[in-house]
Amino acid sequence: MRSSSPVAFPTLRQRLFSVWYRHVRVYTKNLISNGLPPFLEPVLFLLGVGMGLGTYIQESMEGLKYIDFLGTGLLVTAAMFTSAYECTFGTFIRLEFEKVYDGMLAAPITVNNLIVGEILWAGTKGLFFTFAVMCILTLFRIIHLPQGLLAPPVGFLTGLMFGTLSLWVTSYVKTINHFNFYLTGVISPMFFFSGVVFPVSRLPSSVRFIAEVVPLTHAVRLARAVCTSRYHLSQLGDLAYIAVFIVVMGLLAIRRLRNRLIT
Amino acid sequence: MKVIQVSHVSKTFGRVCAVCDLSFEVEAGTCFGLLGPNGAGKTTMMKIIYGRSRRNDGGIGTVDVFGYDPARDELPIKYLSGVVPQENNLDDELNVIQNLMIYSKFYGLPGKVARERIETLLAFLELSEKQGAKIRELSGGMQRRLVIARALLNNPRLLILDEPTTGLDPQVRHLIWDKLRQLRAQGTTVLLTTHYMEEAFQICDTVLIMDKGRKVLEDNPRRLLQENIEAHVLEVPVSNGTPVIGESELPAGVRLDRAEGTLRLYADDIDRLKSVADALGDYPHYLRQSTLEDVFLKATGRMLNEKQ
Repeated sequence: MRSSSPVAFPTLRQRLFSVWYRHVRVYTKNLISNGLPPFLEPVLFLLGVGMGLGTYIQESMEGLKYIDFLGTGLLVTAAMFTSAYECTFGTFIRLEFEKVYDGMLAAPITVNNLIVGEILWAGTKGLFFTFAVMCILTLFRIIHLPQGLLAPPVGFLTGLMFGTLSLWVTSYVKTINHFNFYLTGVISPMFFFSGVVFPVSRLPSSVRFIAEVVPLTHAVRLARAVCTSRYHLSQLGDLAYIAVFIVVMGLLAIRRLRNRLIT
Repeated sequence: MKVIQVSHVSKTFGRVCAVCDLSFEVEAGTCFGLLGPNGAGKTTMMKIIYGRSRRNDGGIGTVDVFGYDPARDELPIKYLSGVVPQENNLDDELNVIQNLMIYSKFYGLPGKVARERIETLLAFLELSEKQGAKIRELSGGMQRRLVIARALLNNPRLLILDEPTTGLDPQVRHLIWDKLRQLRAQGTTVLLTTHYMEEAFQICDTVLIMDKGRKVLEDNPRRLLQENIEAHVLEVPVSNGTPVIGESELPAGVRLDRAEGTLRLYADDIDRLKSVADALGDYPHYLRQSTLEDVFLKATGRMLNEKQ
């Protein structure tokens, strides 16, 4: 028998927030072990590669000193790695080992709410990791405030891109070891060939189009643009790519994971 | 008033029929048990009710929970219900209170209301002393009670439990049964799955015995016992030296079932079984009242009949 008044279940905003909040609470529970490495990693990178190897590189890259070129690229690779790990290993463990989703889906949220919440969480981690790199780059005087503050939003978008892509990949994965193919075969190559460690223009022309197809290249361009305040109309194209990628990949991920979560 | 109305529902996975043309109704304020062996389709049926699994499209199957169809309106159903899944899926990183606080957000409970509610629930499930404990420090029984507390956060009108006491010791099991009885007395409708006959007998007003996705029997557990099985059983373990009891030698009114390793003789009149027991002399035997388990074994055809 239907009750006469409609059931006042939480609004969409509340439902998405509650999924996101769950992840924030679990992540911040181990604040030191989770929150410190994002600050340490860029330091290691800048010291080892930027200042060590970089001193041998006299040539400017896209008009930047090598350490500045590398540093601005690291802003978004940090976001890429964290969201890729979160939505592969993290999601798979919640799905198959910890059965966290079984509990969450018993509460008044839909599968779509759950997956969108995951994507927003991936974006948030991207934002935080880029923020950490931004702090270090500012300390090293590689970038400057306030324009550096535009980098974390780019990190958020990067997190959304790699969150959706990784969830889509996860929807196919049956055993956790299969993620190695994706992380070593897709994510790591992107780090090296998307204009982070050297300009895309140096790639052989026959493979340069690949760099244009993959998502990281566009995020790197935006990050560098906001940090150096060198804007160009073509960056609207990068922004459009990112928006379309998030929407299309997000829909694919939802559709695939839905079938896995609702039998 | 009916809280759940399931009518001719089927669910197939590939060629396997997990739930086959199942129909039942659950009256408000009662405890309804789905009883069956592993793989009988209990969990699948339960998941269909709260929208986690979809019944087969087309056909005549319908599901109505609080007036909503879970295939279309899962949110109001989940908002009015609490679910205890088969596996405890607590967040190990968080302590007892934090686990519950996270879930209070899913129901949109304001912080103050949530804290009061959590305090009441921890007291109800006798976990107050453990409120700051980490999940790993809790015993299996405590974890189970915490999952039940979590399901009760929003004062559900329907509590759904998938094997609530599997793997727990007798004390905890009785405690949980007691709490479920209290909830039912307060008007909560309870739907549970179990493969413990005693659990069904202790707390269910209605039991539906399932096997291979189909309904085998459905009734009040006491009536199921009265109407489907003789009152007493004499169990005789079988080994090579067992005196063979043939059907011809048995007194009238005694039914013989021969299962792997055990002979079971059923009769309403205990004296007839006693005479058989006397004839067995020192040979081990066990005379007892029949239980729902005997009904179950008879209904699901586990036991090989003398003629088979």
